[in-house]
Amino acid sequence: MRVEYINPFVESAFNVLKEVLQGEVKRGELYLKSTSIPVMGVAAIVGLAGDVEGRVLFDMDKPTALRVASVMNGEELKTMDELVKATITELANMITAQAVTKLHELGFKFDLTPPAIFTGENMEVSDQDVEALIVPMETAQGKLEINVAIRERG
Amino acid sequence: MKTKEDFPEINARRPDGLKPEGTPYRVLIVDDSMFVAKQLNQILSSEGYQVVATAGDGLEGYEKYKELFPNVDVVTMDITMPKMDGLTALQKIMEFDKNAKVIMISALGKQDLVKQALVAGAKNYIVKPLDRKKVLERFLSVVAK
Repeated sequence: MRVEYINPFVESAFNVLKEVLQGEVKRGELYLKSTSIPVMGVAAIVGLAGDVEGRVLFDMDKPTALRVASVMNGEELKTMDELVKATITELANMITAQAVTKLHELGFKFDLTPPAIFTGENMEVSDQDVEALIVPMETAQGKLEINVAIRERG
Repeated sequence: MKTKEDFPEINARRPDGLKPEGTPYRVLIVDDSMFVAKQLNQILSSEGYQVVATAGDGLEGYEKYKELFPNVDVVTMDITMPKMDGLTALQKIMEFDKNAKVIMISALGKQDLVKQALVAGAKNYIVKPLDRKKVLERFLSVVAK
């Protein structure tokens, strides 16, 4: 997978997280995986289809999701309810929108699916024939991972 | 000790959300995200605006507008929504009431749709993520006209 696909997502995640969480965000080391990847517990997934195809996954554990949603709503949220899910979905929406604008400017044309949220224990994600690039982001609320598996349509 | 009562006039700014005669501007929020609707509601209520209804898609938004009319002053309209998108709902509202004040709420990267909305009669737009200052400024510029 070409790194130029992931950079817009990393930059955008960095900017959006900094803005909505009002705090420092530290970018971890990027790594590449071609096998199944564990999913931390709460994952928002957005599909891409067009000149490039694949998916982007925003992944975090449940306590992190609750803390992130609490900051974004300005109140303490303790259970994984509809509001928390709507908040994480919106976070994925904002990050994706900014990244996609950048990719469209670079000349890639594709459509997006609305984000879907998965929650659960011991989940894994596998992508046939596409390597996934993962960038961890450290925030005061916990670790989030941006997991991108995209390829050019052959 | 000095209390607020010693300076009754200093902080007596009229909140943005109140009309000159003192009643609140009435807002209809059209958004499919519970999070965004709640955020808008909090920001607007804190400045005195009154959110009179919320709709979860464009069609519901259009119907609520007709139902509330003329007791609604401003509409916030998301763009990407199920059933009927925000651009279509805006056009329908403008057909029904050519003086409607609609503010588009957009994710980044929808410049073309925002332009179309402005041509179709939207009074302003706000790009997400929403922040208090940005939302209130745009609202003020729309209600002040």
